[in-house]
Amino acid sequence: MSLEPSIFFDEVNERQGVFHRRTFILGGFAGLGTLALIGRLTDLQVIEAARYQSLSNSNQFNFRLRPPPRGRVLDRNGVELASNRPNFRVLYRKGEAKTAKGDHSHVEAMIDKVAALIPITDQKRASLLREIVNAPKATPIALANDLSWDEFTRINVRAPELPGVSADMSDSRVYPFGGAFAHVIGYVAKVSAEDVAKETGPDGKQDRLLLDPGFRIGKQGVEKSLDHPLRGVPGGQKVEVDSIGRVIREDPAGDIHAIPGKDVVLTLDADIQNRALEVFGEDSGGAVMMDVRTGDVLCMLSAPSFDANHFVSGIPGPEYRALADYERKPLLDKALTGTYPPGSTFKTMVALTALENGFDPKHTFTCGGSFAFGNHVFKCDKHHGTLDLHQAIVTSCDVYFYQTALFCGPDKLAGIARHFGLGQIFDIGIPGQKAGVVPDQAWKAKRFAKQGKEAQRWWPGETPSMGIGQGYTNINALQSCVMVARLANGKKALNPRLIRSIGGIEQPRGSNVPDLPVNPDHIAFVRAAMADVVAATVANATGRQAQLGLDPIMMAGKTGTAQAHNYGAGHGAHGAQGAWSLRDHAWFVAFAPADDPRYAISVIVEHGGFGGEAAAPKAREIMRVALLKDPEVRARIERPMPMPKIDPGVPLDGAAPPPPEDLPGAPAQGPSGQQLQNPVVPDPPA
Amino acid sequence: MTSSALTRPGQRERLSEKLSEIDWRLALVLTVIAGIAGMILYSAAGNNWGPWADKHLIRYGICLIAMLGLSLIGLRYWFTAAYPIYALAFILLLAVPVIGHSSLGAKRWIGTSAFQIQPSEIMKLGLVLALARFYHGLTSREASLSWKLLIPVALIGAPVLLIARQPDLGTAILIALTGFGVMVLGGLSWRLMTAGTLIGAAAVGPFVMFIMKPYQRDRLLTFLHPEEDPSGKSYHIIQSKIAIGSGGLLGKGYGLGSQSQLNFLPEKQTDFIFASFGEEFGLVGCIGLLALYALAVAIALRIASISHSHFGRLSAAGVTVTFALYVLINAAMVIGLAPVVGVPMPLMSYGGTVMVTVMVCFGLVEAVRVHRYEEMPSGRGSLL
Repeated sequence: MSLEPSIFFDEVNERQGVFHRRTFILGGFAGLGTLALIGRLTDLQVIEAARYQSLSNSNQFNFRLRPPPRGRVLDRNGVELASNRPNFRVLYRKGEAKTAKGDHSHVEAMIDKVAALIPITDQKRASLLREIVNAPKATPIALANDLSWDEFTRINVRAPELPGVSADMSDSRVYPFGGAFAHVIGYVAKVSAEDVAKETGPDGKQDRLLLDPGFRIGKQGVEKSLDHPLRGVPGGQKVEVDSIGRVIREDPAGDIHAIPGKDVVLTLDADIQNRALEVFGEDSGGAVMMDVRTGDVLCMLSAPSFDANHFVSGIPGPEYRALADYERKPLLDKALTGTYPPGSTFKTMVALTALENGFDPKHTFTCGGSFAFGNHVFKCDKHHGTLDLHQAIVTSCDVYFYQTALFCGPDKLAGIARHFGLGQIFDIGIPGQKAGVVPDQAWKAKRFAKQGKEAQRWWPGETPSMGIGQGYTNINALQSCVMVARLANGKKALNPRLIRSIGGIEQPRGSNVPDLPVNPDHIAFVRAAMADVVAATVANATGRQAQLGLDPIMMAGKTGTAQAHNYGAGHGAHGAQGAWSLRDHAWFVAFAPADDPRYAISVIVEHGGFGGEAAAPKAREIMRVALLKDPEVRARIERPMPMPKIDPGVPLDGAAPPPPEDLPGAPAQGPSGQQLQNPVVPDPPA
Repeated sequence: MTSSALTRPGQRERLSEKLSEIDWRLALVLTVIAGIAGMILYSAAGNNWGPWADKHLIRYGICLIAMLGLSLIGLRYWFTAAYPIYALAFILLLAVPVIGHSSLGAKRWIGTSAFQIQPSEIMKLGLVLALARFYHGLTSREASLSWKLLIPVALIGAPVLLIARQPDLGTAILIALTGFGVMVLGGLSWRLMTAGTLIGAAAVGPFVMFIMKPYQRDRLLTFLHPEEDPSGKSYHIIQSKIAIGSGGLLGKGYGLGSQSQLNFLPEKQTDFIFASFGEEFGLVGCIGLLALYALAVAIALRIASISHSHFGRLSAAGVTVTFALYVLINAAMVIGLAPVVGVPMPLMSYGGTVMVTVMVCFGLVEAVRVHRYEEMPSGRGSLL
């Protein structure tokens, strides 16, 4: 290549010139790039600034859940049946320490540090570790509940050294009466994965409360059916958080206040319910009491019971298994879920059906201890001799009712029984009712639809069993109580009411119902007979043990002894003999005062033996509490005894008064002059 | 030429004379930028000197002294060292896959834990020097269109491929663009320039589909559709845009940037420091900061253009291109105009490597200014 100076010089100038021009061009490109950046920055920081500012705020501020206090459950007098108590707890929030997946050493170290301050058992430690590892990042986990004040302050003082750990106060559910209301009110427990799935809407949204470690969801009874009104609406504590959710600052002015859950008032009476639990003792069974004028359920007990408080913090496995495996089944609600053959208490329905269908109450049958029908002999437990309908109810003669039932037929019996609530499900606001069975021909055809014509047919030999409340018939204690409440009311098809008000809003009354399609005189006849069952002025009256001892107030009732085990009608280990699970069920249905009914009760003692021995005394004790709490009844009891009147004391001026010779002196009604003023119970003022 | 004639022999070799020739305006602009960075790092750490602001400022101080020291080194020495530095960087790059240690799935570093170097950083300087050295001996016609241009293509291509395989796509792109910039400044013909641009553009598609690592492809797709996966791979860019956008016109105020203070902004002290700055100082602050960078680039290009030697021009302009690309790519990435490629904001981002590289580059620029009259060897034939 030539190296002549002139060319070289041009060369140099040309290179320099190109460089200068291109430096300008390159600088221009850089300037254009910078302008593009400024344009984009203007777009972000001026045009879209508001949008990004709100995004930044939603990053920066968070609403920490403030759980509302759960609504209380009260009895009719305002006694707390379920309430809240302060619970000092230790929470752990994940996400403060970033570590590799599968490495939980920091969690273990944290638990060990906390365990140095408050007791944590090895078992609890293991379950906590599992819980923390599996919990979603945003969910705090309760490390310990129910701390003492000492432990609480100890944790609070050391919390700054324990990342993610904080101590706070929350509400914890408490059931002051432990077991007495466990089946009615139910209990709350930890939220399960299924609960969350059930509560998650189709849009994937769910109540944020569900993720709060202190939140408990209603699992049974009122707590379950009224869970949403009881829950309340959570509030929010406005806090400034960083990217891993740590609270940097609080902003009390921005807080949203929680709306407490609604209080639920029940119609139950804590005194009556507690007494009922007491009289049951170790016995298994149920008791339901209703106000005869309003339909309010005053007592609804299932025994033996369990302590609902144990379910709130999570019941230990062995304890739960013990409850579940116990043969007297504490977890089963025997007032609603358990169904039993009504036994002789059903005879009230048989008598009523017969009267409604023109049966003459004076008609007599003779009881020689058994009744042959077809190729079967139906037995009676005594030789009652010749009796009419009134005497048959009082002595509970099976032979009489075998034949009365045959007079009525199953369809008519079932019709009346259903009018009185048997086999029905009532809308009392809690789940778990079993309808049981009130059989008739149509029912049998349907029930055995798959088994051919012979099985579907109602055999005449099945009717006598039905007449003494055996066979297919199966009812629960609530239905039994409704039956006797309707008998005692005498007029209305009274419905039970359990929930009196929710959040101060009164629920519909049970007395706002149509009249029963039954002649009130016939009902009165049955009631009069029931009065004599207890009054025991007749030989062999079955309910003597139900005498109240509260003169002049008397109770009227009907016993029932139902076979729990099928030995064949009239055979086998009747009564209270043999293995517990094979013994008869004892029933007693009653109302009081006999002359002016206010309260109706039904008691079932599972495998209790004879109704008059096992169930009647319990009914008596429970009824006494209700009567003594009633100021009007109490006034009658405390009133100085007026001069006896000549009035023979026919309990009710019905069409079929019992023969006077059966009621010498009529002590059942006592000397009171008032008993005839309300033959049919009027409605109380609404 | 004239001013050169007016100096007495040896006058320019005197230290005082050299110091007075240093462009102190440039040093001042760089110091202001580093000072702003110190301020932001102090704020981002919750008004703490530690862990970033103090170290950043100390590093800058050391690097500033190093820059001034380098500016005193005669251009001849730079010229002589050009190929050896390139060769050293190239050998180290070759050694990286063998003796390097990996972090986050990429092998970029060699050395012990006490002293680690990133050969690709040396290559940034080495490539510019080597290209300037090469073009110094080229006629303008050869630089425009000749077979000799295969040499700079090879000089650029070899290290770019090695770095892209580490993988460090951001640095590879940066070096490739710098090299291309030097070729353009050297006088590449417009036709070749257009052809090169077209070939480069056409290669993007197959490159994305077949050569890119999955995580790199993810980054690219994230850039195209950031809203698809807000908590995952798009988290960086979304939070960065929220930070900048929420700053508004005048910013949230110093120390009040919630996005960076509360750690919503990831890498707030390194790659995304521009977003921290934008959040607290708003559009006005951003334009001001970009103006400072533009001023630094303008001064550096001015220095390049007054150099009497082609080597001085091209080397000063080359490192300035690198610097400008750093700024443009990082800012574009932070505001969602470019994919997240892991290019820091020079002088702002916390981290020693980039600081050293950039300040050595500016040392070269200052050296070009101080020695702009220096007679250079012709350079012809030494690599031909």
